[in-house]
Parts: sequence; structure tokens; C-alpha cells
Amino acid sequence: MPSGTGKTVSLLSLIVAYMIANPLSVTKLIYCSRTVPEIEKVLEELKKLMTYYEKERGQAPKMVGLVLSSRKNMCIHPQVSKERDGKIVDGRCHSLTASYVRERHNYDDSIPICSFYEGFDIEGREVQLEPGVYSLDDLKEYGQERNWCPYFLARYTILHANIVVYSYHYLLDPKIADVVSKELSRSSVVVFDEAHNIDNVCIDSMSVKINRRIIDRSTANIQLLEQTVNEMKEDDAKKLKEEYQRLVEGLRDASVARETDVVLSNPVLPDEVLKEAVPGSIRTAEHFVGFLKRFVEYLKTRLRVQHVVLESPASFLKDVYQKVCIERKPLRFCHERLASLLRTLEIADLTDFSPLILITHLATLVSTYTKGFTIIVEPFDDKTPTVSNPILHFSCLDSSIAIKPVFDRFQTVVITSGTLSPLDMYPKILDFHPVIMSSFTMTLARPCLLPMIVSKGNDQVAISSRFETREDVAVVRNYGQLLVEIATIVPDGVVCFFTSYLYLESVVASWYDQGVVDSLQRNKLLFIETQDAAETSLALLNYIRACESGRGAVLLSVARGKVSEGVDFDHHLGRAVLMFGIPYVYTQSRILRARLEYLRDQFQIRENDFLTFDAMRHAAQCVGRAIRGKTDYGIMIFADKRFSRADKRNKLPKWIQEHLKDSLCNLSTEEAVQISKRWLRQMAQPFSREDQLGVSLLTLEQLHSEEMQRKQQNTADQKL
Amino acid sequence: MAEEEEGKEYRWETGYEKTWEAIQEDDEGLLEGSVAEIIQRAKRKRQAERHGNTRLGMMRHLFLVIDNSDCMSNQDLKPTRQLCTIKLLEGFIDEFFDQNPISQMGIIITKSKRAEKISELAGNPRKHIKAVQQLTQVACSGEPSLQNALELALRSLRMLPSHASREILILMGSLTTCDPGDISVTVQNLKAQGVRCSVIALAAEVHICHKLCRETGGLFGVILDDCHFRDQLFQHIDPPPAATFLDSSLIKMGFPHHLMQEGKEASLTMCMCHVDSTDGEGGRLNSGGYFCPQCCSKYCELPVECKACGLTLVSAPHLARSYHHLFPVDNFKELEFRDMQDKIELCFACQKRFGEHDKHVYECGTCSRIFCLECDMFIHDLLHTCPGCATNHSTSQSMSNDSVPPR
Repeated sequence: MPSGTGKTVSLLSLIVAYMIANPLSVTKLIYCSRTVPEIEKVLEELKKLMTYYEKERGQAPKMVGLVLSSRKNMCIHPQVSKERDGKIVDGRCHSLTASYVRERHNYDDSIPICSFYEGFDIEGREVQLEPGVYSLDDLKEYGQERNWCPYFLARYTILHANIVVYSYHYLLDPKIADVVSKELSRSSVVVFDEAHNIDNVCIDSMSVKINRRIIDRSTANIQLLEQTVNEMKEDDAKKLKEEYQRLVEGLRDASVARETDVVLSNPVLPDEVLKEAVPGSIRTAEHFVGFLKRFVEYLKTRLRVQHVVLESPASFLKDVYQKVCIERKPLRFCHERLASLLRTLEIADLTDFSPLILITHLATLVSTYTKGFTIIVEPFDDKTPTVSNPILHFSCLDSSIAIKPVFDRFQTVVITSGTLSPLDMYPKILDFHPVIMSSFTMTLARPCLLPMIVSKGNDQVAISSRFETREDVAVVRNYGQLLVEIATIVPDGVVCFFTSYLYLESVVASWYDQGVVDSLQRNKLLFIETQDAAETSLALLNYIRACESGRGAVLLSVARGKVSEGVDFDHHLGRAVLMFGIPYVYTQSRILRARLEYLRDQFQIRENDFLTFDAMRHAAQCVGRAIRGKTDYGIMIFADKRFSRADKRNKLPKWIQEHLKDSLCNLSTEEAVQISKRWLRQMAQPFSREDQLGVSLLTLEQLHSEEMQRKQQNTADQKL
Repeated sequence: MAEEEEGKEYRWETGYEKTWEAIQEDDEGLLEGSVAEIIQRAKRKRQAERHGNTRLGMMRHLFLVIDNSDCMSNQDLKPTRQLCTIKLLEGFIDEFFDQNPISQMGIIITKSKRAEKISELAGNPRKHIKAVQQLTQVACSGEPSLQNALELALRSLRMLPSHASREILILMGSLTTCDPGDISVTVQNLKAQGVRCSVIALAAEVHICHKLCRETGGLFGVILDDCHFRDQLFQHIDPPPAATFLDSSLIKMGFPHHLMQEGKEASLTMCMCHVDSTDGEGGRLNSGGYFCPQCCSKYCELPVECKACGLTLVSAPHLARSYHHLFPVDNFKELEFRDMQDKIELCFACQKRFGEHDKHVYECGTCSRIFCLECDMFIHDLLHTCPGCATNHSTSQSMSNDSVPPR
């Protein structure tokens, strides 16, 4: 189902009702979504639900629902909140709230601290939040009123709140999860909404990429560290000694430090590692700095390659041992040790140290996992083979590693999305056994989506973004022709997706020569998504303006880009979506190849199956942008010959497949235009609530009627 | 026109269709069927909404905005959108003044990003029809500008007295509008002035048009084909319910008699309507005419606004015709044809035999005669009297008694 059809509210009402009925077996609902606007939407639905409860039962259930987001979105400090970059906000917040900063403030008033944090620290912990639903703005307002920091309030409150809504990075990314979500109870229900890309999130959160710049900056970091250590040795040797003692006693105690200090994070370490003491070789500060220096030097030599190197973590560890005599065990503690050292040295601004932290992260991961990861060193980018730009990828191949703790820890996990298809792929790649797995279609009172596969131009030349034909003039011209014709007959907004930025640029360049751009601009304004985020959001803004004012606009964007993932084109903003070509991922990438190989060996997934699956879910994601609710309508054009093949068609979500009749596959441009014209006129006929009643909208009596219940049973396609 | 009314076109003129696929549409999907049903229901609903005793804006001041841009030369209406529109408009203008004799109309065209008034606000259908007919000579070009057209219309409508209902009807073929400024300001202006804007789009639903209609309380429609276009257009013939803030006021009207000076040699005079026309066609001298009871200017046709003293001149039948909008025929009851199958075979009005595709039949509440959908429409839209009641002596008596005292 595309969004706007009530997925979120169905899930929420079901789980909340269950929580009210069985308060002991389900104590907490953790609702994870992807972006901030989507999270906000969940809270809106939740508020509606609570209002409904209040109306029906006279009082709202005693539940606390709240949102947690990054400091950037929650900060109310007058200066810090002005910052745009999330990392800088984090850094500045830390420099105002770290325990030693506050301690120093006690005897030196000139050192600034955050009054909101102080306010929260003094009173906030004793007071429980009133039952209710708190969105980002509510929390900020609440914080302003009481002079409490909303971020820390939220972080503190999620431990006893009944409903928590946040981004799924807080649960999946081990670096953050350990800080935020560690103490959530087992009897929680976890929902991953918009989870069609969940495997990529898992993988990204466990992968590390290191280039020359990071190495250089971390070398500088080490120098600074060394200098600070030396200074401290002269001034305050006692502190270092204390730390040494602590480390002897084991990391457990070290991690008892106050919550604000835990900015540095801990990748998924097995518990026993935490209980062990830090190995002797890196216990003293100087030794550890030296150790880091050696490791960074080693990485530097590894980057000095002329050809691509691919190796396993095991052989990497062996090589490290041989070259610079670093053993596996101290590497494992590297990350935690650095965190402890930075704490001891009272380094306030942690943003500067992010390269070094990244390196220790790599060290810990590489020594913890031997399976499911690979190391690839590429001396140059594939697109620019002459420019030397070595990169070391430490890449996670197995998306189940990051999500495994979630499956292990919580009693119920729900994964859902509008474009989760084909369903059976997800249990395979995430390595779990689904209890219930079902896919639902949409009941619509009128055919409000029109998917079409356009496979040839008016001149009968097959159109396809296949590598061999994509530069062909006839194909590019036919794509242009299709867009121009669609732009003349479709009102307001039209969105086009290309397979890559590179392809977008080359196609637009040749359209310019062929005069396609001119004839396009006669009907609509043209906007193009670029890799630059600011430029894109400006283009998007003007695109919306053009649609609002009736001028009409065409937006050219890229599948897997910012637009395809986060932006909705409801109603007039997206009357038609065109998908030019199948958005295959760049198949020559070595990381992808390694992952495909791993998937084949470990999970018996054929390479082609996975590639098609990945391409089709992105295609579905792109075209799904157009339909946002049952009163909306939109055309979806898949412009590639290959879409009509059964293996591609069957991988589309069910709600699209249902409307993609045989007569709509394999069309030429002209046929598609004729069909759309007629369809647009039909869709523009007045459509009221009464027309939906009994078909896609049921009254309470209709819902209870036996016939309807039987129908429901049939449509819910149950697979176990 | 006759051709279009029959809803028949030549095979080669029809749209691109795959007839072999049309066959299965009824089994599943019901694509055409379901949409056709929605339209039919909409028609009935429109009728049902109309009932007596609502205050109607009878003195209408309507501006027709005709899109004359590039896309009006599109051939999806035959022969072209422009020609088809002009044909329908001729009928519309005639009908409009027939049903709303005391109203006025003006015509604006928009093309090449400009708007141009081709006919001033006036009550003479012939002048408008002529202006519209002349459009066939004008080539379609450029993009239309909705804002310019609206502003131009608003400039004339702003001057009108407060009891007049102000309307703009836009026939929009284009899917884009090229405006000099922010159109939403114009929309707000129109709303503030109480101008009711309606749009008939010839291609698809454009957001700004829809918004314009929603904001100003007008109707928005998208045509399916030329027959539906006609329906959409002609629904604007019925006067809309008066906006609540319209003042009610008494209007002075003149009822001139047609005078023929008999007996002696009639003195030949020019009528005021043609006195300044140069084409000589109507400018002949004649003896008879309507004379304004106030200033004795002569007119050859009614209704008209006196050029000399500004009095509205109408004849009694004109007012009577406007009158029936206030007392429409009561709605017929909708009955399932299946239940009635054995009792009734023919439509009382057109004598059509009911068949398989008549899902519903309609019964007059007074005379209990049964009618088919088409006749039901016809009776309510045009005839304004039920043939069953009219032929039956007792009901026709009671009906006429019924409607004489104002309800």
C-alpha cells in the first residue's frame, strides 16, 4: 500500500489497544521511521488516536508518547540551535554539558554552560512527564516553559515512556543504539516503518570508509593527543594514574560515567569483552597513543597501492601483526580506550576527533568480526582512473549482523513498508523467521493509479537504459519525445527519475541539442536535481511554486537520490511519474560484487535475483511518490522494455501489479498518451466520500456484515 | 451541432482504441462503467440539490473567458477544440439568454499571455454570438494567462450594483497559465468581491483552476467528450443560488409594447440597437418596434437595457421564463427497474421500451407516471413541467393552482 492509505494508524491503533488490554505483556511501543517529517506524521496520527480514545471513553489512556531526534532538531539553546550542521550542534552541546566542563564552571564562572541542561539536571529527573503525546515542537515548548533541555528530557524519558517514536538509526546503528536504546525492556514491540531499505541501513551502519584525508587528519589528532597527554603528565599526573587504575579494574566501571560523556560510542561488542580489563599494552596513555600511531601508519601504507586489493578481516589482522606487531586483542579495545582517554583529557570539542574515532571504530570492528565483512582497497575511483584517490572500504556484507540484537532483544518486531516487495527476500537477507508475513492490496473505488510500461517510441525503436543502448540517439530521442508528450497532456507536476546522475546529465545534454528541452519548456518549467543538497532543495521549492500557480513543472531527478526517498508529490505536485530505465545499482562496484558473492554463498540468493529485487524496489519507491492517499491519482510510466518481462513485473508491489494489466504493458509512446488522456479526464470527475462508501470506505455496520468479513479474509493473502 | 448532439462521430474520428480489449471491461475493473455511473449520479445529484424556495441570483452578470491558446487547436474534440467550443457556445449563449432574459454577458479571450475583451457586458445574444463566430478566424497561439483574464473581468464586474450576481465562466483548454504576478492574490480578490468563478477544463484537472473554483464557490468540471462538454456547459444556464451577502433590492423595469402605427403612413425610424452599427445589415429603417416607456427610444428586440435612460426593458414572458427557476418540477422518485419489470414497459414520455440497461426508472410523485432517465433529465432541465401531470386534467389543474400562489 502506498502511504496515505492508513498503514501507520492501523498499526498504532492495534498496538495501543493491545497495550491497554494487556499492560503487562507489552509495556512499550518503539516506532521507528526514517525521516523527521515521517516521524512527525506518526505523532500526528498518534495524537488523533488519543483524541479518539478520549472521545469514546471519556479520558485519554494514561500513556506517554514522545519523539526523540537529534540535538540539531531538538536544541533550544539560543546560539547552538542556530547551527545548521548536526555534528557541530552535537559538538557544541557537548562542550557545554560535559561533566568536567560543568565541574570547572563551579569554580570559574567564565566557562559557559547550558542553562537548559542545568535546569533539567536539577529538577527534571524527579518529575515524570504528564501522560500525553509530545511532538518535537511540544517538547521544545515544554522545555522553554520549564527551562529544561528537551533533548535530554526526551532521552531520559524514553526509558519509562509507553510509546517512543524515533529514527531507526537509534536502534540499528550500534554506535548510537548503545547510548540511546540500551535499556529498553524486552517486552517492547518494535515497528520499523518505511523499512524497504532496512538492509542498506544495517550495512551502512557497520561499514567504514577511510581515505587519505581521514588518515591525515587523524595523524594530526594523534599529535594533539600526544601533546595533551604530555602537558597533563606535567600538570596533573594524578589523573592519568587514576585512569590507569580504572582501566585495570575493567571497562565496566569506566562506562558508568555520566550520560553526557557517552558521546563516543561503542560498536557491538560482546558483553564479555566489556567485562574484561583493557589489555596492558594500551593501558597507559603514552602507550596507547603510540599504538594508535602505529596503526595509522600501517593504514597509510595500505593506502599506498597501485592495484585493487581485496582481503578478509582475518588476513588483514595477520598482516597487521606481521607488519607492526599489533595483536588482535588490544585492537578490539581500541574504541573504548580512546573514549576513556578523551574523557580523561577533558577534550571538550569532540567533532575534531571524528577521524580518529572512525579509525578506532574500524580497529574494533575488524578485530571483532571475521565473517560477513570484507576489506577492499581501491587506488582510484572507477570514473576517474587517472586520479589517485585511494580508499579503504571496510564493508559489511551481511545486513543481519546489525539487526540481530533487535530480533534477539525484543519480543515482537514488525517490519512494514508501502513497497516491501517481493516479501520473501527480506527474511532471507535479514536472516530471520517471520511469524506472519502478508501483503495487502488496496481497495479503491476508482482506478486511481495508472501504471504503464512503455517499451517503444513512436518509431517502434525499443527503449531501454541497457548499457549497450543507453547512448543511442534513437533511444534518447524517444525518451525525450515521451516526456514532451506526457508534459503536454498531464496537468501541473511531472516527475522523472533517471537511473543515475551521470545518465541524467548526458541525456539532458543531448536533449538540449535535439531541441527537446525547448519544446518541454513551452508547456512546463524544467527543474533538475543535482548532487548538491542546497541546490536541490531550492529547485524543489520552485518546482512546488510552479505547480501551485498553475504554470506546471517537470522535475528531473535520480532514483536513489534525495528526491526519490524523502519527498512526497501528492495530488497536483505529481500527476505523473516517469521512470526512465531500470534503476540497477552500479554493478561494477567491488563492494557490491563482494556482497553479491556473500549473499550467494551464505543465503543462496542468486546475484541476478538480488539485483533485480533491489532495482525494482527502488523503481517502486520512485513511482510510489505520486500516490499519497485514496483521493489522489497519478500516472506511473515505466519506460524501459525490460520492465515488461515477467521477472521484473512480478517484483513490483502488489498494489501496482494489480492495476498493471496486460493491456498496459508493452505500449508505444502514442498509445500511452492516448490512454493517459482519457484516464486523466475520468479521474478529474468529481469524486466524493459517498462514492467510496461501501467499496473502500466502510461504515461500522458494513464492517460487521458477514459478507465483508469473508471478503477481508480472502484479500488478506496469508502466507506463513 | 446536430451531429454532436447525437453523440455519433465517424469511426476514423474516434480516439485511439483497442476494441478487442473493450469487451472484457465489464467483467472485471468496470472502468468505463463505474465512471459513467459516477457521472450519471452526479447529474442526478445536481438535480436533487435544486429545489424550490432557494434564493437565486437572477440578474446574472457573466463573463465568459475563452482560452484561445495553442492547445485549442488540438484535435481531440472534432474538428478542433476551438471550433467545437465555438459551436457549443453559440447554442449556450442563445439558451442562456432564453432562460435568463434579464442577465448580461461579456466575452474575453486569452492567448499569447494576454487577455482581450471581444464583447462588452451586454444583454444582446446576437452581438455575442457574432463575436464568438468571429473567433473562427482567429488563429490559436501562445499560452493563455488566467490572471490577466480574471483581472480584466474583475475590472468590469467591480462596477456592478450590489444586487447583481457576478460570475466568470472559464473554458480552459490549456494545462498551463502564464501569469505576470501571483495568481493567488487575484483569487483572493475575486473571493472578496464575491465573484463566482467556474471552470470547464477541456483536458485535465489543473490545480489552480480547481482552487479558484473552490475558493470562489464555483463549479469545476473536466469534460470527457463533446457530449459531456455540452452538459458541463449547459449546467451553467441555471442561475446559481444567490450568495448570502447579495443585497435584495427592487429593480425598476420597463415593459414596452410592440407598437405598429397603423392607419396612417408609418414613419420610418432607426432602432437604437442598430443606429450605430455600420454593417448596414440591421440598420434599415422600419416602422414597428418596442418603445421605452420612459424615454420612447425604439428597440427592435427585447430584452435590452435602454441606451438612453438605462432602464431594463423586458417583456412579461421573459420574466415568466426566469420565474420557473424558482419553482422547478419536483424531483422524481428513483425506482429499481428490476422490481418494476412486469408492471411497466414503456416510458410515459418518449414511449421507449425499457430494456436491460435501464437500471433505474423514475416516477413522478404527483401523477405516478414512469419515465426513463433521459426524459427525467429533459423534463427537469428544459421542459419544466411534467407531461404526465399536464395531460391529466385533475393534476394539471391542481398543478396550476399549486404554482400560482407564490410558495
